[in-house]
Amino acid sequence: MESRRAPRQTAIRMLAQEYSDASLTEMGTGEFDPSFVITKLGARVNRALVAGVIDRLERRDGDNGPSYSGHIRDPTGNHVFNIAPFQEEMHAEAEELLARFESGDRFLISLVGKARWFETEDGGVFTSLRVEQLAIIDKERYSRWLVDAAEATLRRMKAYEDSEGLEAEATTLANGGIPKDVAEGMAQARSHYPEFDLENYRVGVLQALSIASGRSSMAEAELEMSRSQLRVDDQGIESPETKAPIEPAGDISATIIRAIESADGGQGAEYDSIILACVQSGFSREDAEDAIEGMRDVDGTIIEPRFGFFQVL
Amino acid sequence: MTVDGKYANLVATVKEECKDASEEEIAEEFRRYEEEFLIPPEDALRSVIRKFQTIAGIDVTGSSSARAPPPSAKKVDRFADLGSDDRNVTVEVAVVSYTPRMQKMKNGEERQIAFGWIEDNPWESSDKRERWDYKDWGGHSQNLAPGSVVRLEGVSVNEWNDKKSININRTSRISVLREGGQANPERTDEPISIEKASQSDGFVNIVARVLSTKNDVIVKRDGSGQLNVVRGRLADETGSIGMLSWSEFDHEPGTLLKIEGASIRRFRDTPEVNIGDTTRVEVYHDNSFASMDELASTKKSTISGLRNGMRDVEITLQVESWYKRSFTAKDGSERIVRSGDVMDPTGRCRLTAWCDFDPKPGDFIHLNEARVQSWQGSPDLVIDDISQATNLESPTWEKIDPDDHWVNVGLTELVAGGTRRGIRTKGSIVLVTGDSGIIERCTVQLQDRDRKCRKRLRDGVCVDCGPQRGEEDLRIRMVLDDGISNVSLLLSKEPAEHFLGMTQAEVSEMISREGQDFFLSSVREKALGRSVSVNGLALIDDQGAMLLADSVQDDGMSASTAAEKAIERWEVVM
Repeated sequence: MESRRAPRQTAIRMLAQEYSDASLTEMGTGEFDPSFVITKLGARVNRALVAGVIDRLERRDGDNGPSYSGHIRDPTGNHVFNIAPFQEEMHAEAEELLARFESGDRFLISLVGKARWFETEDGGVFTSLRVEQLAIIDKERYSRWLVDAAEATLRRMKAYEDSEGLEAEATTLANGGIPKDVAEGMAQARSHYPEFDLENYRVGVLQALSIASGRSSMAEAELEMSRSQLRVDDQGIESPETKAPIEPAGDISATIIRAIESADGGQGAEYDSIILACVQSGFSREDAEDAIEGMRDVDGTIIEPRFGFFQVL
Repeated sequence: MTVDGKYANLVATVKEECKDASEEEIAEEFRRYEEEFLIPPEDALRSVIRKFQTIAGIDVTGSSSARAPPPSAKKVDRFADLGSDDRNVTVEVAVVSYTPRMQKMKNGEERQIAFGWIEDNPWESSDKRERWDYKDWGGHSQNLAPGSVVRLEGVSVNEWNDKKSININRTSRISVLREGGQANPERTDEPISIEKASQSDGFVNIVARVLSTKNDVIVKRDGSGQLNVVRGRLADETGSIGMLSWSEFDHEPGTLLKIEGASIRRFRDTPEVNIGDTTRVEVYHDNSFASMDELASTKKSTISGLRNGMRDVEITLQVESWYKRSFTAKDGSERIVRSGDVMDPTGRCRLTAWCDFDPKPGDFIHLNEARVQSWQGSPDLVIDDISQATNLESPTWEKIDPDDHWVNVGLTELVAGGTRRGIRTKGSIVLVTGDSGIIERCTVQLQDRDRKCRKRLRDGVCVDCGPQRGEEDLRIRMVLDDGISNVSLLLSKEPAEHFLGMTQAEVSEMISREGQDFFLSSVREKALGRSVSVNGLALIDDQGAMLLADSVQDDGMSASTAAEKAIERWEVVM
């Protein structure tokens, strides 16, 4: 009797907001068991197909070689992606993209990645995707992806609504009409996340569909805006998700210094914990990242003696 | 001295042998022997031990003395190394089958036990293994799924009628080394539908109407004679299933039966209800049960429902092509085989006729009692006698155009089903593998066969034929994914050229000029995240699902149309 190969994990379609909202993770127990990020809408994400305009891209040189990280933006926010030092086969492609990006070019990309996350000591979870393959795509393919992602989100939203009042248990949900592929994740999501309003996700879906249907020219707009390096301001067409959840408290540089000082035990403070501190103080992730970069490279008020660890100079 | 205290030493001795037995019950047993059977406790010891061993399901045929120290663990690789009185054995085995059964114990309680087959040497192919029976007395169903490889610890050997088997006891430990199929379902006594029964293994109870029966003879493989059996078909409103009765079965077609304790076994990919001596078959009365007429349709198959090993298939087909070929059989005689491609609205497959059957392309035909045999993974129909086929006068459906007969199948349905030809499915490309592009194939002419080896060379070496100069070929491997299911997608030369918009020579030139990475990244730019529709053959087996493409093209829907459709489908208010 032959062994059955572990089935390949399907690539989940989802907009950026759903993935960055997720804080429930499941680490595989065995060596080859897959790990998952479970979103509020019950998607069990081990692999995802996402797309958007490239919004950040940078290389970091570590002891094991270069790694790359970046953002791609869709109407609801950013997907954070990484290429690890050991993914050497992708480094040449990453360098090429980086050169284009640094020359000011912006472009749409489609990428398939595996779910990764970083958990801070106080329990904050940052989700990201480790790239398996990526490609530069045209607007038409991007728009088709928007439709797919919107429909997948609508399907999960319906499952979320249908699961209302049912016991958060996979079999019960499946018997209650929740699609089989969503039932397990929905049971986990229902038990982990507090009740929330679907409205945020509905707005994202509407934006995606409206762009793809040609009723809104936002895809074009986004691309153009990024090209001209303009930041879309909060009152504009930026999606609600990227708005700071609360009013920013005080000066971002001061927040960063405070975060470093309180976390630094001699080894430096970790990048992600600084970001988290800023986000919790009401700054957006992008602003925090920009500020850290500026303080390191321009002001010189903080240093990065070791990759990913910061100290106050 | 209390009664219990009086037996304390003896109770302790029994406990050594039967760890799960309760001390009170053991003491009570000694009391009964002493007071009711008038046997002194010391003399009753062996009987008492045997009783509790039997309850616990521990093998009791061995001759080991109750007072002997517990045997030390014996670890073996092969069943051949086991003696008939080995206890506390550790061995790694492959689980072949697991059949639960309710057994009435002497104390009147019902307990689930199970029996089945295990094979030693589980990491080697099955021809290098030995197969033994086993009994599970310990309710280990969760760890004994057929198809899994497990380590058994603390099991014992049982010998009866010169045949050795393994007893798995309640105290035995089982570690799953490799997961098998689904865990064994708990046995229920409620009758289940034929649809459910078809998906289960082991014992079932069903209520079904007999559709047909036929006497048959099975010749024993060891040449010791033959067995009379009855084959037939049973149906309820959820479907129909083949039946094989090893004991007398004289129910006429049309009879409604309640069948308890029949076992489901699989012949190739096809489940069959087996009726044996322990099965209870009785006529059942239920006026609301579907009539023969209503069940007639469950007997009719469609091409999409064909599975390897099916017998007694009734099906209507449109003939696409028909050929006749003669060959010399092993015994030197000249034989003729006829075959061709056939279609129905659910797909297409091949039909082979070992009789004088000569339909013309475009004809509609009806087959009875056809069988299904898999050829290169694709289930194909076979008839052996002309009486099994009828040419239909009038078409059953509007004639299908063979050049454009692709049956739309969703990816999830496709992956869950069996091998199918002539399908069209949709999804997005989520991976282009690094070995896509130009490969070299072995050119050695195969003896006895009318083709070249064509295996892929690795570093100029064919696994079968050795080092050589190969022949270049173009091939692309990708993964098609619709967000719910996925399948490997293989494009051979022609569909690949078409998909890339490049000839093999152009691909070859690009790779030698710009390198493999450049080529791959150009394919990814063409493919990654693209929504496509694929026409081809879906091969579904134990190793997973693979789609051999005839063609891969855009699915013909623009983003704006797709968006409008989604808005409509989900009733989104913009």
